[in-house]
Amino acid sequence: MGQLDINIVIGGPQGGGIDTSANMIIRAFAYAGMDVFSVREFHSNIKGRHSYVHIRSKDDKVRSLKYPADLLVALDPDTIFEHHEDVSKGTMVIYDSAFEGSDLGQARMIMRDTQKGIKETLEKAGFQTTVKGMLEYMQKKGGKLVPIQFDSVLSPVVSDGPTTRYFNTFGAAVTMSLVGIEKSSMEDAIRYVFGNKESVLKTNLAVVDKAYEYCESNKLVGRKIKKMHRESRIILTGNDGAAIGKIMGGLRFQTYYPITPASDESTIMEEHEDLKWLENEVDQLSRGGVVVVQTEDELSAITMATGAALTGSRSATATSGPGFSLMSEAISFSGMDEVPLVVTLYQRGGPSTGLPTRNGQADLLFAMHAGHGEFPRIVITSGDVEETIYDSMKALNYAQKYQVPVIHLIDKNLANTSEILDGIDTRRVKLEIPEIIPQNDGFKRFSLDTSSGISRMGAFGKNIFWLTGDEHDEIGHVTEDTRMRDLQMEKRFRKLETAEKEIPIEDKAVVFGDKKADVTFVSWGSQKGPILDAMNELKKIGISSNFLYLKMFTPFPSDFVHDFLYSSKTVIDVESNMTAQAAKVITQNTGLKISNYILKYNGRHVTEDELVEAVSKIYKNGVKKVVLTNGA
Amino acid sequence: MAHNFRSDVAIDWCPGCGDFGILNSIQQALTELNFGANDVVVVSGIGCSGKTPHYINVAGAHTLHGRSIPYATGVKLSNPKLKVLVTGGDGDLMSIGAGHFVGEGRRNTGLTVILFDNEVYGLTKGQAAPTMQMGQRTKSLTKPNMFGRVNPISLALTSGYSFVARGFSFDGKQLKEIIKRGIQHEGSSLIDVLQPCPTYNNINTMEWYKKRVYKLEDSKTWEPVVKNDDSNLEEVFQRAYAKAGEWEDKIPTGIFYENNNIPSFPKRINEYVPRYLENPPSDQKISDKDGYTLVDPMKTFSEKIVETIK
Repeated sequence: MGQLDINIVIGGPQGGGIDTSANMIIRAFAYAGMDVFSVREFHSNIKGRHSYVHIRSKDDKVRSLKYPADLLVALDPDTIFEHHEDVSKGTMVIYDSAFEGSDLGQARMIMRDTQKGIKETLEKAGFQTTVKGMLEYMQKKGGKLVPIQFDSVLSPVVSDGPTTRYFNTFGAAVTMSLVGIEKSSMEDAIRYVFGNKESVLKTNLAVVDKAYEYCESNKLVGRKIKKMHRESRIILTGNDGAAIGKIMGGLRFQTYYPITPASDESTIMEEHEDLKWLENEVDQLSRGGVVVVQTEDELSAITMATGAALTGSRSATATSGPGFSLMSEAISFSGMDEVPLVVTLYQRGGPSTGLPTRNGQADLLFAMHAGHGEFPRIVITSGDVEETIYDSMKALNYAQKYQVPVIHLIDKNLANTSEILDGIDTRRVKLEIPEIIPQNDGFKRFSLDTSSGISRMGAFGKNIFWLTGDEHDEIGHVTEDTRMRDLQMEKRFRKLETAEKEIPIEDKAVVFGDKKADVTFVSWGSQKGPILDAMNELKKIGISSNFLYLKMFTPFPSDFVHDFLYSSKTVIDVESNMTAQAAKVITQNTGLKISNYILKYNGRHVTEDELVEAVSKIYKNGVKKVVLTNGA
Repeated sequence: MAHNFRSDVAIDWCPGCGDFGILNSIQQALTELNFGANDVVVVSGIGCSGKTPHYINVAGAHTLHGRSIPYATGVKLSNPKLKVLVTGGDGDLMSIGAGHFVGEGRRNTGLTVILFDNEVYGLTKGQAAPTMQMGQRTKSLTKPNMFGRVNPISLALTSGYSFVARGFSFDGKQLKEIIKRGIQHEGSSLIDVLQPCPTYNNINTMEWYKKRVYKLEDSKTWEPVVKNDDSNLEEVFQRAYAKAGEWEDKIPTGIFYENNNIPSFPKRINEYVPRYLENPPSDQKISDKDGYTLVDPMKTFSEKIVETIK
């Protein structure tokens, strides 16, 4: 174990079957018993612009991606232009030799600024601004070219239309042959992807056969990776994980307005509205489905979810930055009226529309402060696919238990990360369900008689009570009485103190690595995996490191964070934003100032290699801030 | 014993306000329909109309400006057994919440939307509301109204409301009957209620309306109901739409349009979500006796499982 480490970038035009290729590759590795981690990168575009999937497979746990690529698979000329930086000594570049005639000037789907950069690179290095020139440049950098005449290889086996329809399968199969994955695993992957389409399945299998045959006769075969048997595993993205976690956590009502990268979670839920049950005594009372409603806008999405929560069901909405901006007023209402509500906030590159399909972590401070006035809330974050499941369950629990809005931050990178989990533990998180006792006369939904700040939950249909955005009395009627105002404000905020006391520290912050280390990482969200992998690599070059991983920002684990950082040596804050927002929260809550930063705001995922390099610069050369730039 | 729908909260609307007539009609309608204490929910937005839920002795939510409809839709979809009333003002439903008003027509969830229509924003001191005519100048306007008028009846018709009616706050008998039919209607209903604002609207007063309103049902040939087979749909709709345009000298009240052939949103959801109407989100048991999930995630998402073949 721990011998194999394969990094693949496969690119092509959006809508040209790249996702399918990536799916095949991921599945084939998985069937071979390997672990796989991948991230999908795409433009805000339906068809034509460059998209790619960055995949890494290991024979033990893989938690991040790495450049340079071992294989660059180009299903169009643009991929060759766009990914020249991913190619280094030993990178195999697989492409259709028909691309060789393409000129950079004709590549109109490459963004103008990107084109300019590519042109400068090629001209500086003395190569022509054509695919041919770029390939020569790659060769000079040590890349190994694998040109294949896709059409002529495929035409004997494709009879149902142009061979181009099968280029993505062919590209994936050649890749798998090159890395040494047995054909049977690739065939299983094809059967998975095209299982119910008999005619397509047949041709695709023939294409795989042809690809392996071609590679065999042209010596394009990697060292065979022996198939390893594994127990059942499950391949999930961050979007999947959040959907599963919410459903397991008892969510039965979800609203959304279409927005990247959040709406996948809701459509995934819709596809699975017919739930399957564990075998223990599921009576008729529990059997039911999940209702997912696409609303007219985000104002409606959050208020509809809030309305549903008033009847006692667990409800949530999912959105991204622009939608969350619209939701602010309703978050304030949920805080004021103590309605259990979960908002899953998928951050993407902002401000405004920003980088709508790219990564970002610039909404942390916004999530902590969105909504007018002062009210308690809980803000949590997830850093890998497994966490999206259990954190989604916990988010619903916190909302119910403390009767507050809970904002669950996920980032685009994690939403589109695909990981393999060994299974899903149905008994890791217990559902916290408040008791609802039918009562009408004298029911005090906002009773002040509570030391925890938590009043008895009520539900429309079982209790008569009122809600109002105005300050209110214990029953829920409007008041402007000074004393009642103070008491209700203080009661609401007591809940936050209760939550702070009750929620265990491991749900707020986790330390990885030894207590004492040369370097201490501080981070949150999807940098978790890259940092954990970088820690191993740093060790190999003589730098010991540990990692303070933050999961809850409100309430913030101030003492824990203070005590840990106070005795740390070189503290480095790593975030996918420009202004180091988490570091600001740390300073605000602990008084400690962090002086080293690794930041990335180009919208692409943080990779292991760039982290290792950045840490070396900070630790060895005394650089204070490194801005990461990897990614096409 | 019949439930008392009057709450004990002191009502702080201005003397002579049309809101009183609407409140009384709602309370009478609920009493006559024999609803129990926990059968009905009232949801409002902001403004004088927004206070209505506090005055009715059922569960109520006085929500955000413009958002009464989506809050109410959430209540109804989570527990479709509840009767959900929306009491909103003309600014609330026709301006800041107009998008939701249209959205609800498309959904046809089964809300009873009662529009408190007095052409002004009373609680913020009399600005022109979207139902005021262009050029009209009520007493607190600094100049004549610069904007055109939204017609709630025609907007409701084109948005897809399956029950569209108009009442007058000083004709409690007719209004109560309209509200009763609106509540009993399975789809969503819009009931536009003409009412004076005695403090800020010195033009559209009680007397002004009394001189102009007439009842559609007084005409023997008036037929607002679409037949089961949709055979008269076009005719009924066109007639309602034409009537909606009447204003100035003669203002029609009564039921403009009723279509029982469009399945309500809950019924449509029930076609896809198993056992939805029988066991809606609000009623579902979600954990086993030890408090753990009942859902089998691996079986529910079985297509994502990967098995290595031995």
